[in-house]
This record gives sequence, structure tokens and C-alpha cells, in this order.
Amino acid sequence: MDLAVLAGGIMIAFGALAAGIGNGILFSRYLEGIARQPEARGTLFGQGMITLGLVEALPIISIAFGLLVLFGIIGG
Amino acid sequence: METTPKIEFLGLTFDVTVMIGTLVTAILVLIIVLLTSRGRNLRPKGAQNFFEMVVEFIQGVTNMMLDSKRAAKYVGFAVTIFLFVFIGNELGVILMITAHATGPMPSLGLTKDVLDAADNSVSWFKSPTSDINVTVAMAGAIFFFSHFMGIRKSPRDYLNHYVQPYFWMLPLHLIDELAKPVTHAARLWANIFAGEVLIIILREGMWYLTGIPLIAWIGFSLFVGAIQAYIFTVLAMVYISQKIADEH
Repeated sequence: MDLAVLAGGIMIAFGALAAGIGNGILFSRYLEGIARQPEARGTLFGQGMITLGLVEALPIISIAFGLLVLFGIIGG
Repeated sequence: METTPKIEFLGLTFDVTVMIGTLVTAILVLIIVLLTSRGRNLRPKGAQNFFEMVVEFIQGVTNMMLDSKRAAKYVGFAVTIFLFVFIGNELGVILMITAHATGPMPSLGLTKDVLDAADNSVSWFKSPTSDINVTVAMAGAIFFFSHFMGIRKSPRDYLNHYVQPYFWMLPLHLIDELAKPVTHAARLWANIFAGEVLIIILREGMWYLTGIPLIAWIGFSLFVGAIQAYIFTVLAMVYISQKIADEH
């Protein structure tokens, strides 16, 4: 088997794993915040979405490089 | 994976698709700004109302980071970044043009080998922000601008900041400063690039991929594009404000 396919697959898999853990923690805290203070839903949603963008960055960078490796554009 | 037409000039490679994308985005931003600021009224309505909303939204970002006197100077800069990145992101999702090449075009760098490797599909329009050179250029410009402003404000404070609170923390500060433009550029590029590649994969996949999954992913891409444009602007203002903020 072509090793680049394996490498790309591993990078995408770990990116997805990390994003899953990060978003899970983020939104569990978001829901806890709403449960404690339902009137803060609006501000929490905005802040949560900004944090979502920050948290998603490193996994998605890993996935983008994984896709580049997978299609043999770099590191072939 | 599709390829792009390229021009060799003075030993550098220029990507025609990226140039078209950047140009179209810039012209579109210019048209939108000109149309919405035409015939300004004290009592805004319609398009002017909408554009004032955008500017006030960005004013909220700059006021969050800087005091109101200094924030006013950076609102124009932040609105420019936001509009360019936002329209660039959304344009690539809505308007992605891929042509099927029938013959090689050596003047555009589309030789037979290149076309065979890309299954004859040539991209003519995509997000300018899905090319890493564009985002690195933008993040690099913000990096140099923020350091320039920091040095201009007070060279002593600027140099002193690197050895705070202890001298041995200098390497940490240097890594921190270098990581900022790299992650700033890679964050935007990776989000848009991964989104576009998945659209291409879904578009060319089996029938069960081109239906609801493609529509759902396009919707998510529009959302991600808006979020990333906002985050790019916020981070640009954070990096600038860190350099010009008063000591407290």
C-alpha cells in the first residue's frame, strides 16, 4: 500500500479526534453555562462560536496537510 | 485533484487562478462599498443601513481591544480585512469554476503530464483565501505592521517586552512572536482549503454523496467562512493591540 495514503489517513483521523474532544469540552461547558444562567444564552453563543473557530484551527490545519499528503501534493 | 494554470515570470511562478480570485474579490468589495456609501443620509435606509451595521460590528471588535480614541484609527483597516476575507471565503463556496481541459496549454503551464495527473480538470476560480500564499501574505503584512507600530510607539518598551518578566524567557517570547503569523495564516487557509477539497470530493463522488451531504457541507462552509473572517479580523486587532497597548 502507498504510505502517503496511510499518512494522510492518520493525519485526518487525529485531526478529527482532536476536534471532537475540543468541541466536546467547549460545548459541554456552554450547555452548563446555559443551564446555570439561561438569560446568558445570547452572549455565550457568540463567545462560544469564536472559541469554536479558535479550537477548530489546529485540527483543521492537520486535516488540510493530511489532504495535501493524501493527494500527493507534498511529501510524496 | 484539480490543477491550476500558472505563469512563469522572472523565475517566479504566478498562479493565474489565485490572481483572478483576488482581483474579482477586490473589485466586488470595491463595488459593494461604493454602492452602499453612495448618497449618504443622516437617516440611513436600505443599503446604507446594512453597511453601517457591518462597520459598527467591526467597531465593536476594535473597541474591545483598544481605547476608543485609538480604535477609531484602526476601524477602516479592520473593515477592509474583514470584507476581503469574508467575500473571498463565500465567493469560493458559491462560485467554484472547474473546466475540463481538452488539450495541453504549455503557455499556462498546463502540459500533458500535469493534466494527466489532475484528470484534465483545471480550476479557474476558487477562494483567494484557499491558497496559502495569499493568507501568508496577509498575515505577514499584519505581523510587520504590528511590530512597526510597536517600535514606533516606544522602542524601549518594545525591546523590554521580550525580557519580561525574566531574561531567560526570551526564547519563549521569540517562539510566541513567530508562531503568531504562522497560525494566523494557516488557520484561515486550512479552513477554506479543507472545505473546498471536501466540496470537490463530494461533487465528484457517488450519487449518495452529491445530494444532501453536499448541500449540508456547502451550508457549513458558508458558516465556517463567516466565522473565520471574523476570527481573522479579531486576531489581527489582538496582535496589533498587544504591541501598542499601554503598560498597566
